[in-house]
Amino acid sequence: MRRLKIAEKMRNLMAGYYMLGHNAKVRAWVTSGAPVEILYAMDVYPVYPENHGALIGAAKLGSHYSDFAEKRGFSRDLCSYARCDIGCVFAGTSPVGGLPRPSFLFACNNICNTVVKWYEVLSRIFKVPLFVLDMPFIRKELKDSHLRYVEDQLLDFIKFVEKITGTQMDDSKLKEVGTKSVEAVKLYGECLRMAKNKPSPMTCFDAFINMAPIVCLRGTDYAVSFYKDMKEELEDRVKNGISAIENEKFRLLWDNIPVWYRLRWFSEFFESKNACLVADTYTNAWTGFSEIRSSDLISSLAEVYTVSYLNIGIERMAEIINWLIEFYEVDGVVMHSNRSCKPYSFGQYEIQKKLSVPSVIIEADMVDERAFSEAQIATRLEAFLEML
Amino acid sequence: MKVGYFCTFTPKELIHSAGFLPFRVFATRKPISLASAYIQSYACSQARGALEVAMSDEFHGFVFTRSCDTLMRLTDILEFLGKRVYNIEFPTKIGNVDYYVQELRDFCKALESWGGEISFERVMESLELYRELEEKLTKLFEICADYETAIKVQQTEVRDAIKLVEKKIAEAKKENAPKILLTGSVCPYPEIYEIFRNAGFAIKDDLCTGRRFFEFRRPNFEPHDLNSALRFLAEKYFAKAPCPTKHYSNDYRFEYLLKLAEDCAAVVFLLVKFCEPHFFDFPQLKEKLEEMGKKVALIELEFPVASTEQIRTRVEALREVIE
Repeated sequence: MRRLKIAEKMRNLMAGYYMLGHNAKVRAWVTSGAPVEILYAMDVYPVYPENHGALIGAAKLGSHYSDFAEKRGFSRDLCSYARCDIGCVFAGTSPVGGLPRPSFLFACNNICNTVVKWYEVLSRIFKVPLFVLDMPFIRKELKDSHLRYVEDQLLDFIKFVEKITGTQMDDSKLKEVGTKSVEAVKLYGECLRMAKNKPSPMTCFDAFINMAPIVCLRGTDYAVSFYKDMKEELEDRVKNGISAIENEKFRLLWDNIPVWYRLRWFSEFFESKNACLVADTYTNAWTGFSEIRSSDLISSLAEVYTVSYLNIGIERMAEIINWLIEFYEVDGVVMHSNRSCKPYSFGQYEIQKKLSVPSVIIEADMVDERAFSEAQIATRLEAFLEML
Repeated sequence: MKVGYFCTFTPKELIHSAGFLPFRVFATRKPISLASAYIQSYACSQARGALEVAMSDEFHGFVFTRSCDTLMRLTDILEFLGKRVYNIEFPTKIGNVDYYVQELRDFCKALESWGGEISFERVMESLELYRELEEKLTKLFEICADYETAIKVQQTEVRDAIKLVEKKIAEAKKENAPKILLTGSVCPYPEIYEIFRNAGFAIKDDLCTGRRFFEFRRPNFEPHDLNSALRFLAEKYFAKAPCPTKHYSNDYRFEYLLKLAEDCAAVVFLLVKFCEPHFFDFPQLKEKLEEMGKKVALIELEFPVASTEQIRTRVEALREVIE
């Protein structure tokens, strides 16, 4: 597989990001789907335990760090991002030397209710305040009452941060961060959409590897410049006819969080079968944030973040997947039934029946390698690809 | 007509006032088979068992409240199966009453579209009936915790439920044994509780099939119209026995549970496998309980319970340790 060169830059950028955290005055641990724009606008450094979990998974250290939490009584059936993160706190270290201690915690349940429980645990360990941004689940339509509920909480949150930092929110700064966030998200979306080309210049594994900046640095110049460079590299590839894999015969879509400790195994497996995973629902989930309007930032943040991909009903999820199928012209869908992520995985059996192309479900876990059965998964995937 | 519900935060008073029978859906003793085609095996067995019931019995519709991620998706799954469903967005963060009153207003409209009738008088009548049931259950549990009754009333018309509880109060005998606190979500099998009783414990609980169903702090005002009745209902449910699917300020649930445990000799976490909200709370609660000098045990359940013998051995061992 021809990996994107930009991954090297990403590693340096993220190393810098983790370093910065240790010098920051005020640090918040924050969930991946929270409106981080408010934090950047108020000079609060955001720490992302979920990204940290992914990093641990990719380093194949999931069960190692999870064990520190399991020994303290945290069940192995709990989300493995949470287990690893809590485990690292008890271990006092991690592949990046542990995350810097939080000044406060910020959990937004637009991705799951797990984060609320996880952050409650952290707030008891660190004895720091926790702000829960409660977003109603939007199974059908987004109601005005839901929007008002979220808007009120965003205003409360700003007051909460003002009290901790001792400085007032500067509206023009929030606008500036919002503009940068939209710019980065747009560029990021353009990068992902380059996979529409046949053959595709990238795979979803490139998307997984290079998604950290959109999660952690959205709202900063770093993310904007990173995705500009990534887009350039992809454009170059298209211009010069360079494809991500040697012989693209099938085009596939991945659903759910990646199996971080097996990225290489999956990418080699699919390449050997001439199948290119051109897109996925996970990294696409961040492209929705491009709808933020700087004219009415608070209400727009409320709206965009409330209807995030995991906070909607399966009917709407299936519509989005079918849109991706059509846009990327894929032949089949590989669905990861992820033991660690219930809102992402429950409903997959139903979504599967609503899709316009064939699909296969494989069961694993995003970070805990003990839940991976190689032979079983390989057999299922082989049968699926033969059928295609 | 039966309207199925799954969570003790469901405003059953409104379902009842609209002319339906609020019917709590529990896993049964039958093996889970049909449901396996629609939800993964790592969903808790209460959710899978309830799905099995929902697929095989007659219901007019199902009402969900936002509680855990599994129930959130179960709404989608039941709708996919062609069932009539409605989800009330009960806030995860307890606090904003106005928001929840609006959710209840929207729910009233949904009940009307299901053929129900909502009026101030009828809502008040149901509020009154459930108040009576809750007070009587409290009285019964003060004498002796009767789980067979507590489970049955959640699937019975409230007027009949009141009569049943009255009868049980008349028969109940005060228990005189060391207290044990059972904490968890649901356990719909009365024989499990009997294991604790037979081992020589009097039971106190923090369960959805126990006091979480009937313990409320009632608001201090009399409703005068439908709007204020909905506000009354919202405040009543905000001030209910706490649940780990909700976020409270100042860690209220921990404070509540530690207080509940004060006069108990031991605490048993009776948890359904894969129940994230409870399993996240478990290690830190256990630590605090042990600091208080309580003996703590964890019993993990999967429905239907395959063997009660293992549980019996654990409970008897616990009784011996306490002696």
